[in-house]
Amino acid sequence: MVRIPSVRTWAGLTLWRRPSILRAAMSMSFVTVVVRLLVAGAVTVLGAVSVHAAAGSGGGQSVTGPSWQQGLVDRYCVACHNERLRTADLALEAHDVNTVGDAPDIWENVVRKLRAGTMPPLRRPRPDQATYDEFTRWLEAELDRVAAANLNPGRTEAFHRLNRTEYHNAVRDLLGLEVDVNELLPADGSSYGFDNIAGVLGISPTLLERYLGAARKISRIAVGRPAPSATTETFRVANDLSQDDWVEGMPFGTRGGATFQYNFPQDGEYIVKVLLARGTGGQLATFDVSHTLEVSLDNEIVQSYTVGEPPPVDASRGSDAYRDWQARQRTADSDWEFRLPVRAGSRDIQVTFARRTWAYPETVREPYLRPYTARDTRHQPYLGQITVTGPYDANDVPPVGSTPTRRRIFVCEPSETDSTREQTACAREILSTLARRAYRRPATPGDLDALLGFFEEGRAAEGFDAGIEFSLRWVLASPEFVLRVERDPDGLAAGTNYEITDLELASRLSFFLWSSLPDDELLDVASRGRLRDPAVLERQTRRMLDDDRARALVTNFASQWLYLRNVPALYPDEDLFPHVGEALRQAMRRETELFVESIFRGDQSVLELLTADYTFVNERLARHYDIPHVYGSHFRRVSLDRLGNTARRGLLGHASVLAVTSYPNRTSPVLRGKWVLENLLGTPPASPPPDVPSLEETNDAGEVLSVREATERHRANPVCASCHQLMDPPGFALEQFDAVGRFRTHTAANTPIDATGELPDGTQFDGASGLRDALVSSPGRFVGTLTEKLLTYALGRGLEHYDAPIVRGIVRDAAEEDYHFSSIVLGIVKSPPFRMRRTES
Amino acid sequence: MILSKKTLARRTVLRGVGATLALPMLDAMVPALSGISGRAAEPVRRLGWVYAPNGMAMNAWRPAGTESLELSPILGPLAPYREQTVVVSGLAQGQAEALGDGNGEHTRATATWLNGVHPRETEGADVRAGKTADQIAAEQLGRTTPLSSLELAIDQDFLVGSCDNGYSCVYMNTIAWRDPTTPLPMQNNPRVVFERLFGEGGSTAHRQVEFGKDRSILDAITSDLARLQRDVGSSDRARVTQYLDAVRAVERRIQLSEQNDTELPEIERPVGIPESYQEHVELMFDLMALAYQVDMTRVFTFMLGRELNGRAYPEIGIPDSHHGLSHHRDDPQALAQLARINSYHVSLFKHFLDELANTPDGDGSLLDHSLLMYGAALSDSNKHLHFDLPLLLVGGGAGQLKGGRHLRYPRDTPMTNLLVSQLDKAGVRLGDQLGDSTGRLVELAPLANI
Repeated sequence: MVRIPSVRTWAGLTLWRRPSILRAAMSMSFVTVVVRLLVAGAVTVLGAVSVHAAAGSGGGQSVTGPSWQQGLVDRYCVACHNERLRTADLALEAHDVNTVGDAPDIWENVVRKLRAGTMPPLRRPRPDQATYDEFTRWLEAELDRVAAANLNPGRTEAFHRLNRTEYHNAVRDLLGLEVDVNELLPADGSSYGFDNIAGVLGISPTLLERYLGAARKISRIAVGRPAPSATTETFRVANDLSQDDWVEGMPFGTRGGATFQYNFPQDGEYIVKVLLARGTGGQLATFDVSHTLEVSLDNEIVQSYTVGEPPPVDASRGSDAYRDWQARQRTADSDWEFRLPVRAGSRDIQVTFARRTWAYPETVREPYLRPYTARDTRHQPYLGQITVTGPYDANDVPPVGSTPTRRRIFVCEPSETDSTREQTACAREILSTLARRAYRRPATPGDLDALLGFFEEGRAAEGFDAGIEFSLRWVLASPEFVLRVERDPDGLAAGTNYEITDLELASRLSFFLWSSLPDDELLDVASRGRLRDPAVLERQTRRMLDDDRARALVTNFASQWLYLRNVPALYPDEDLFPHVGEALRQAMRRETELFVESIFRGDQSVLELLTADYTFVNERLARHYDIPHVYGSHFRRVSLDRLGNTARRGLLGHASVLAVTSYPNRTSPVLRGKWVLENLLGTPPASPPPDVPSLEETNDAGEVLSVREATERHRANPVCASCHQLMDPPGFALEQFDAVGRFRTHTAANTPIDATGELPDGTQFDGASGLRDALVSSPGRFVGTLTEKLLTYALGRGLEHYDAPIVRGIVRDAAEEDYHFSSIVLGIVKSPPFRMRRTES
Repeated sequence: MILSKKTLARRTVLRGVGATLALPMLDAMVPALSGISGRAAEPVRRLGWVYAPNGMAMNAWRPAGTESLELSPILGPLAPYREQTVVVSGLAQGQAEALGDGNGEHTRATATWLNGVHPRETEGADVRAGKTADQIAAEQLGRTTPLSSLELAIDQDFLVGSCDNGYSCVYMNTIAWRDPTTPLPMQNNPRVVFERLFGEGGSTAHRQVEFGKDRSILDAITSDLARLQRDVGSSDRARVTQYLDAVRAVERRIQLSEQNDTELPEIERPVGIPESYQEHVELMFDLMALAYQVDMTRVFTFMLGRELNGRAYPEIGIPDSHHGLSHHRDDPQALAQLARINSYHVSLFKHFLDELANTPDGDGSLLDHSLLMYGAALSDSNKHLHFDLPLLLVGGGAGQLKGGRHLRYPRDTPMTNLLVSQLDKAGVRLGDQLGDSTGRLVELAPLANI
C-alpha cells in the first residue's frame, strides 16, 4: 500500500518530509526551536488525536490524509531520521507506519526504542505519555498482527556442534563419568552473549584432533583399561585462599587444606606428592613450631608429615646452626611423596593440617584477609598442590560392577566361556543402548554395523572390553554424537514452514533445559511420536525442570547472561581490597547461583530476580555484607529487609554482579550501566567512538574527583553524551556499592555518594532501591529481555525481527501467570521458532 | 641414535612435578643430525607472530631517527638482539577501519592483523575474514612437519561480555584463520599444547596402534560426512566441507607422525596453567621453542593477551586495568604506566629470543633460522588508530634479514606488504594477493647470494 503524502493535517509538518533549501540550511538549534514551538502549540491537537484513535479501529486510516500514527512519526522522528541526516543510519521518510509489514525489521527497532523510552532523546520534544504509550501499543499490535499472518519460525542451522559444556554434560549422562573437559577441548567462541550459537561452532583441524583425543581418553577411562603410561593429575589450591581456619567438609580439629575428587582409572598403585604453598620467588617460608599435615583417602588417613621446628637455641642468624635449620625448613616438603594401592573409581583425597592451639603473633593479618601474593604473609604452612601419578603395577580390566561407569555401560556381560556369537549378541545390546542415548535417536542397522565393526576389530586384538572401548571411542568421536543435525523433510518447497520431528524436538528440549542429551524417558516419548502433543510437551518440560540437570540453566545460561563466568577472574587491587581472595570469590559466585536457582527451580516470578527480599550467604560473604550472626561456611537464606539491608535486594545488590562490572581499583558507573542496559533492559549501547577520552581523575585544580564527578565531566562532551546519558544513570544508582560490592555512603575520597539518576524516559530514581523500583514499574522490559536471552540460548541462533512478536506473546502470556519462570520456559518451548523450522529459501 | 637425556632436559618445561613421559624421538631433536642428513645446505625456515594487546604507548615505542636502529624505552629489552631486529614504522591496516560498519575497533584490529581483510560484521553463521599469513606459511613450510602450525594464547577463555556488539567473539579470540570461514582456536593450556606436540606417552608400538585406530575413526567420519552431505541443503554443505577438510588435515598429521615416530628420551610435562602471568607466558614460549627445536612445526602465532583485556600487572607495580590505561588521553603518567606494560611484554618476548639463540640448529641457532614478527594491531590505543602500527621483525631469517635498522614508510602503506615480505624471506610463495597488499617492501627484499 502506498501512502499519499500530499495532504497534511498539521501545517508545517510537511517541512520534515520535503527536503528544501530552507531545511538544508537550518542549523540544529533552529530545528530544535521549531520543534519546541510546534510542541507548545500541538498539545491540544495531539490530545484530540489520541482520543480519536482510541475510539477508532486502531489500524484505521483516512485515505485522504495521514493517520495520527504517521503524524507522530513525521512530527517526532523524521527530524533526525530522514534521508539527509540518516541519524543512526535510519531514514523513516520512505516508510509508512500504517503498513509495517513492508519493513517489519525497521519498525521492530522503532518499537524497541519506544519501549526503552530512549526515543525521542532526553530533552527533545515528545508527545505526552498517554499518546506515547498509545502509539507504542498500537505499533506493537500492528507488528504482531502482521507477523501472525506471515508466520516465520526462522531457520536454525542444520548442524549444531556440541560445545565444551554440552560435551561434558553429555559424557556425564551417557557414561556416568565426570571428566575435566577444559583439559580435553578448547573453549568455544560466543555470539549474542552465548557460546552455544550454532553458526559460529565450526570445526577446525585443531578441534577435530581434540575431539579424537577426548574420545580416546574417555573411552579408556570409562571401560577402565590401562593407559599407555602413568598419567599425572595436579590439583592446586588458589594462592589467595586463606587456610588459617577450618575448611568446609574437613574433619573438625583441622585447618586449611582441601579435598580433591579424583577418578582413579584402574586398580593399582599411585604416587601422591604433596607440596606446600610457596611465597613469592617460589620459596618455602620457615615455621618455628611444628605443624602436622595429614593425607586421607575416602576419610582414612594414609599418610602424615610434619613441618616446622624451633630454631636452634642461642644460634644467631648468621650461624651455621641457624642456616642448617633454615635450609631444612626451606626443603621441608621435598620428599613428601608416597605410594599407595587404590581401587579404581572416584575417590576423595583430603589434605589438611591438624589444628594447633594458636596464639596469634602480632604480625598476623586479620582472619579472612587473603594471603598476600606479592609477599609472603603466611604464618602457618598452607597446602599448595598435590599430584597423583599412576597407575603402576595396574591390574587388568576391573570387574564389570566395579565402577558406576562400567555398570552403566555393561548392560550385559558375557562369560569367559561364551561363544563369539554370544559375545557379539551382548555387544550388540550394549552398543545399541549406548548409540541410542549418544545419537539421541534409535540406532539404525547402519549405526550398528559400524559399531560392531569397531567392536570386532578391538576384540580381535585384545578381547571383549577392548572391543567395547574401541566402539565407544567411535561413538564419542562420531559426527552423529558431536553434531546435532536437523534435516529438512523431503519434498518441501523453499521457504516453507514445517514442524521438526519429535526426536529433533527432544534434543532441542534437553539441550535447552539440561545442556545435555535427552534421557531415556524423553527419547521414549519422542520415539513414539508423542512429544509434539502440547500437553505431553508441557508435562515433559515440567518434569525436566524438576530434574537436577536443569541446574544447567543456572550454571550455563545464567552464568553467561549475568557474567558470573567472569568471577573466577576477579583480581581486585591487592592494596585497596586486601580481603578479596579465593574464599570470597567462590562465595560471591555461589550466592548468585543459589539465588537464581531458588527462583528458576523454585518457579518464582522472575521479577524476584530484581526484587527478592532474600539472598544466600555464608560467614565469609556475610562479613563482606555486614550481615551479623552468620557463622560457618555453609550458605543459608537470609532476609535482607529485616537486616535493614534493603539496598541489597535482588541481583543488583549481589557482589558478584557489582564486582565483575568494576575495574580492579575503582567502580565504573559506565560498565555497570552497560550491564544493566544490555542484560536487564535489552538495549545494549553502541561501542564508544574512537578517540574516546577516559575518565579524568582530578579536576583542573588538581583535586581528586569522585567517579561520579569524573563521569559527569565525561558526559559534558556531546559526542559522549548521546550514549552515556542512557548508560551512566543506572551506574550512578549502584555507586552505593564499591568495586567489590560493599555498601558505602562515602567514596574513597570521603565525599558522600550521590546515587540519584534519571532513566531515558525521565523517571527519576535514587540509589539501588530506586533503580530497582524503576525497572520493575514496567516489568515487560525486563521480562522481555530475559525471554530474548533464553530464546537465543534455546535456539542457538541470534534473534531476528520476526522473533520479536513471538517474544512479546510469551511475555504477555507469562504476565497472566505473574511471570513464573516456568511460564516463560513453556512459552518458549511451545513457540513456533522452537517447534518449527523453515526450509532453505 | 645417541642422545643424552641432558640435551632435552629443558629447565622450564620441567617446572612441573608431573610424571616423566617418554617422548617420540624426532630426527631434528639432534641438532648435529641435520648435517648428517644433508639438510645443512638448506636451513629450515621458521616463522612466528607475537601479538601484544591494546595497542602501544607509541611515544615510548617509536625509535628515534631512521635507518640505524636506536632502541626506544619499550624496546630496550631487545638490546642483545638489536643486530637482528628491524623496526618497521608507518604501516597501516586500512581494512580495520569501520568502512561503513559500526563500532568495533578492537575486533577489527585483531581480525585483520595477519590478513588485511575487512571482517564481516556479524554474530551469525556468516562469519568471514581472510586466510591469514601464518596459515599461508603453514601450508607450505608445514608440509613435512607433524603440525603445520601452533596457535597459542594466554587469556582465560571463559570471559563473557567482552566482545564488541555486532561482532562474534571469534573475531577477537584468534589471529589465525585457516580459510575465510575457519578461525583457529588458540590454546592457552601448556599441558594441552604439550600433549598436542608429543602425545600422551607410551611405547612406539603402542602409539602406532593408536594412530591406526584414529585412522579407522577418521575413515568412518568421512563416510558419515558423505552421507550428511547428501542429506542437507546446499548452504549447509559448506559446514560439511569444512569438516572434511579438518579430517584430511588430521589424517595428514597422523601420517607424518607415524613416519617420524622413533626413539624415546624422557621429559616431564607441564601440569597446567601457571598462576603467574609471567610463568605462563614463559612456559608457552618454552613449548614453542621446543616445538621448533624438534621440528614439530615451523609456524606459530601467539597472543600475549586479547584486545579489551583488563589485566592488571601488580607484579610490575601496575594495579590498573590494561585496557583502561590504554585510553590514556596522552596523560604522561598513564602513558608511562602503559609503556611499562608494553616493555614488560617485550621482555617476555626477549626470554623467547634467548631460548632460540641458545639452541643450536644446523650451522647456527634456532634464532638464526627464524623470522618473527612482534607488534600490536593498534598504534595509539587511546584513539584506536589503525595506522602507524608498532611492528618489528627479529631473527636471522636464515640469513635473509639485515637487522639493526628502523624503516619508516608513508602513512598508508599496507601492513600486508610487510607480511608479504616476511613470507617472501621464508620462501613462502603467495598464490593470491594477501588482503590489501600492494606489493613488497623494497627495503626488505630478499638479500642476494643466500
